[in-house]
Amino acid sequence: MGEKKASGNKITGFFKWLAADIADIGTTFTDGSWKTKLSYLIMGGGQLLRGQYARGIAFLALECGMLWFIFGFGMNYLKDFLTLGTKGRGFNPDGTISYGDNSFFILLYGLLTIIVIIALILVWRLNLRDNRNSERLLKEGKHLPSNRKDLHSLLDQNFDKTLLALPLLGIFVFTALPIIFMICVAFTNYDFNHQPPAQLFQWVGLENFRNIVTVGGKGNFGGTFFTVLLWTLVWAFFATFLNYFLGMGVAILINKKGVKLKKLWRTILVMTIAVPQFVSLLYVGKMFASDGLVNSYLIKWGIIEKAIPFWTNPTYARILIIVINLWIGIPYMMLIATGLLMNIPADLYESARIDGANQFQMFMKITLPYMLFVTGPFLLTSFIGNLNNFNVIFLLNQGQPQSMKLTGGAGYTDLLVTWLYKMTINDTNYKMAAVIGIMVFLVTAVISLVVYNFLPSVKDEEGFQ
Amino acid sequence: MKAKKRAGLTVTYIVLILISIIWLFPFFCLVLQSFRSYQGEFGGMVNYLVPKKFSLDSYKFLFQEGSQYTRWYTNTLIIAFVTALLQTIVVICVSYALSRMRFAGRRALMNVWLVLGMFPGFLTMICLYFLLKQLGLTQAGAVPGLILINVASSGMGYYVCKGYFDTIPKSLDEAARIDGASRAQILVQMIIPLAKPIIIYTALVSFMAPWCDYIFASYVAFGHSDSYNVAVAMQRWVWTNDYQGYFTRFCAGGILVAIPVTILFMCLQKYYVEGVTGGAVKG
Amino acid sequence: MKRKALSIALAALLTAGCFSTVSVSAEDYGSGEIKIWVAEEVKGFTDEKVAEFMEANPDMAGYTVTTEAVGEGDAATNMITDVHGGADLFGFAQDQLARLVSAGALTPIMGENAEWVAAQNDAGASAAATLGDMIFAYPLTSDNGYFLYYDKSVVKDPSTLEGILADCEAAGKGFYMEINSGWYQTAFFFATGCELSYETDEMGNFTAANVNYASPEGLAAFKKMIELSESKAFNNGSSISNAANCAAIVDGTWDSSAAKDLFGENYACAKLPTFNVDGTDYQMSGFGGFKLLGVKPQEDAGKLAVCQALAKYLSGEEVQIARYEGNGWGPSNLAAQQNDAVKADEALSALAEQLAFTVPQGQYPNDYWTLATSLGDSVISGDYKGASDDDLMAALQDFQDQCISFAE
Repeated sequence: MGEKKASGNKITGFFKWLAADIADIGTTFTDGSWKTKLSYLIMGGGQLLRGQYARGIAFLALECGMLWFIFGFGMNYLKDFLTLGTKGRGFNPDGTISYGDNSFFILLYGLLTIIVIIALILVWRLNLRDNRNSERLLKEGKHLPSNRKDLHSLLDQNFDKTLLALPLLGIFVFTALPIIFMICVAFTNYDFNHQPPAQLFQWVGLENFRNIVTVGGKGNFGGTFFTVLLWTLVWAFFATFLNYFLGMGVAILINKKGVKLKKLWRTILVMTIAVPQFVSLLYVGKMFASDGLVNSYLIKWGIIEKAIPFWTNPTYARILIIVINLWIGIPYMMLIATGLLMNIPADLYESARIDGANQFQMFMKITLPYMLFVTGPFLLTSFIGNLNNFNVIFLLNQGQPQSMKLTGGAGYTDLLVTWLYKMTINDTNYKMAAVIGIMVFLVTAVISLVVYNFLPSVKDEEGFQ
Repeated sequence: MKAKKRAGLTVTYIVLILISIIWLFPFFCLVLQSFRSYQGEFGGMVNYLVPKKFSLDSYKFLFQEGSQYTRWYTNTLIIAFVTALLQTIVVICVSYALSRMRFAGRRALMNVWLVLGMFPGFLTMICLYFLLKQLGLTQAGAVPGLILINVASSGMGYYVCKGYFDTIPKSLDEAARIDGASRAQILVQMIIPLAKPIIIYTALVSFMAPWCDYIFASYVAFGHSDSYNVAVAMQRWVWTNDYQGYFTRFCAGGILVAIPVTILFMCLQKYYVEGVTGGAVKG
Repeated sequence: MKRKALSIALAALLTAGCFSTVSVSAEDYGSGEIKIWVAEEVKGFTDEKVAEFMEANPDMAGYTVTTEAVGEGDAATNMITDVHGGADLFGFAQDQLARLVSAGALTPIMGENAEWVAAQNDAGASAAATLGDMIFAYPLTSDNGYFLYYDKSVVKDPSTLEGILADCEAAGKGFYMEINSGWYQTAFFFATGCELSYETDEMGNFTAANVNYASPEGLAAFKKMIELSESKAFNNGSSISNAANCAAIVDGTWDSSAAKDLFGENYACAKLPTFNVDGTDYQMSGFGGFKLLGVKPQEDAGKLAVCQALAKYLSGEEVQIARYEGNGWGPSNLAAQQNDAVKADEALSALAEQLAFTVPQGQYPNDYWTLATSLGDSVISGDYKGASDDDLMAALQDFQDQCISFAE
């Protein structure tokens, strides 16, 4: 109830702020000098006339660049945004092809254009505010900051802008824009039958989402989705916690008083981190094939009669994947635990020993609570990392075995991400891949939110400092 | 009491030795396989461990005339080096800005990045491919293209580095600012030297990642074999039917990849431990 | 609606093609680059033949031709992902034809060229390059079928499946067959007389399915598959390179040199064996398939003409014989098939013997291959162990219903 109220307040607050902001634009215009008024049309005009060339040129360049992009390029795509193109390709009498609209680029550049338009409005607003501030300063009889000072501030007070400009641009173009694009794809029919440049695709609303939650019926996408989701969660749980406890165990073993060659043991274990996984995991996967080394030697030694179906039996495959993952995961946790275990004050153990506690009791009462407390955030990130642990699954057995009970090429050891990958590469079923991607996001977000509420230390960022 | 302690130690040693055998066995096999001759014996999978005759055929194959292995290796080295360099710079920039400076929208920015990070990376593969293609950075341009992709989004991986920056007392900054140093000077002259371990960690991790990148790299190279990296080229030897009997060559090539990466890792292990431990605690 | 308009346009093209023969005059071929994707093993060979072609046609010298080693599977995947970025000429296995056409990666072949393809190649090969009434590719080989390679020191009599399995089991060796592939699976189902085929239009859409797996014949085949999967000697696979304990393998001509390496002097091959269910013998069947060379749709008439001419040359009689001699690819060209060396080839004659029992492979939707893998995986993982006939029939019915649902 309280939360609802708060969010309600936030919304009304936003509209109040928006109204005030628009009013401010008006008063800036009416109260402003002709230099400020000029800036409403030509951004940076006011700044240039006041001698603030650095700012003026920056604003002007931004305006020119964005307008050129919007009208010279983006509008061609944006105009078809609602239909995603209508003109198909056609063959000419001489056998050559004439391509029509390309839905992919209409969607991608349409989105980009919308974003640039929004950015233009924001820059325009920033430009007005800058004009108003300058005017105020001048009215108060103060000097405007010089160009030199403006530029120098980019290395000092405004250093954050310098530092973040390129990373932000990179993340926008190569992470944010593609994600927004793929979210849009989830609402289209972009798949093997609707593939540009030969074919067009269209908006289809929520059809794909309906498809993925419908259990039974044609294709039974829903049933498969929930099977894969469940295994993804089970896998992430075991992969995280087994590695966590066994890794800690190994660290305790190595750190034990009197054990020599500590460095050697550690070095042997971290080999699995150092050697690229596409070599090591691929090979280990082959070792467990029906005719692989393990089965061959077991048969040769007469231990088993018939090869163990490690990868073809769903249950065996799932267990084996979790076990092999220990091979990769234990060293990682061992390294972390080694450092942290040394931080536990030795006198804690000393006094426990005097009280007559045995090793196990000391672990349960001292070591474990400390480790759990310190590595709480790590467990969360590691759980989320395992939800998306593509390499282990894909290099070991590509999500096999498939089954008549599952659809869309999914196998019993497929995680949502490996399934997504198969849909993209094998089936070029981009619409369903996009839907699965959104589902992965939802799962991750829900888990993170829940855990965040359990872990107060994560929320309090400044608390660390 | 002493006997009990000794027994405990013996058990520990036995467990450690067992673990070591399990951990090293696959690598041992891999090395043995790479010495099997694909000419004299058989280049595919076999069900015995020790080659009947040891030979260097598979290694010779990698460097014989007409083999592109060195080309792929060089590509990967270039990608790894440049990515490590640029990515480290980006991460330092972002971490410093987020750790030391307070600006409007900082919290929001971090939250947006957190949300973006919750989408699986493979989701956007097709879109990234076409974006790169528009820039001419696929096929023949795949190497710079991959570097661009690796570096462009690396700003979002600031957690560990920022966490470390947070532990450097802010009073140091303030003292320097009173002495007239600008923010930029503080970053270059003070923070970077103090944060050496985490910077080495960042560089090491970003150097190692491209060696294992075969999914997106093969997408971007798009059949242009001059632009392959080692992982892309060699996984074809195992996974496509066009390459029969290339398994021992795969093992040999894989070992040549693993050796330098492993040596580098072992040398910088200390920093790696510092990084992951710090990262684990800070989340 | 749009599709219909397009097929009318295509039909118009077909008629137009009859009189618009190579209308480009010698001078205006223009210039540019032509990219070819072929399998690694024939890259060097293709380079050589392209050079010969360019020498013989100086009027096309404005074009620089580059070849890249891209396997048939990768080539199709890449072309489907990005037609613009893909090669102008590319080799692929016929099962991808419909997908490639649907993705707009193949230009229709018309007029003289179409007649040439139909006249020069065996009927199966030209049918494999046809969708609806339109030819979309130039056949390269007719050897994309499978038969049996075996170690004659282990397998004494390769004529029955039961015998082969008994020999392998006794020797502790493996019998390899990729029964979780829709391609190899048909060896069982077609053997007992089942049918599975699709009808397509020239857009690459599947319009109808003819399938009767849910029948007594299907049941017999299915039971044998299950029985095979339970044998100690059975291994799922069709790659010699990955077969670590192999005494017999169902595989194709492309693996013949690897098979010779593996079996050494015990190398032998034969048609597929027969199998026995409830007292009846069935000869294993399967697909006879083809490799094709496709030309990407072009916006420039000159380039299109050069690409077509080059594709024609690379799939012609002379080059097919040379490709057989260099790499052992069995020709689809009728004249080349009569070549003495081709006729004498051991692997190819085993294949030829097997081809008598196979069904020429038509077009199948991508979903079929996925579904067949699921069926095979279900068999291998023991889902149907000890299942009653009714249960098996229900599984086949499910399979059949899904197959039908793929044809819109």
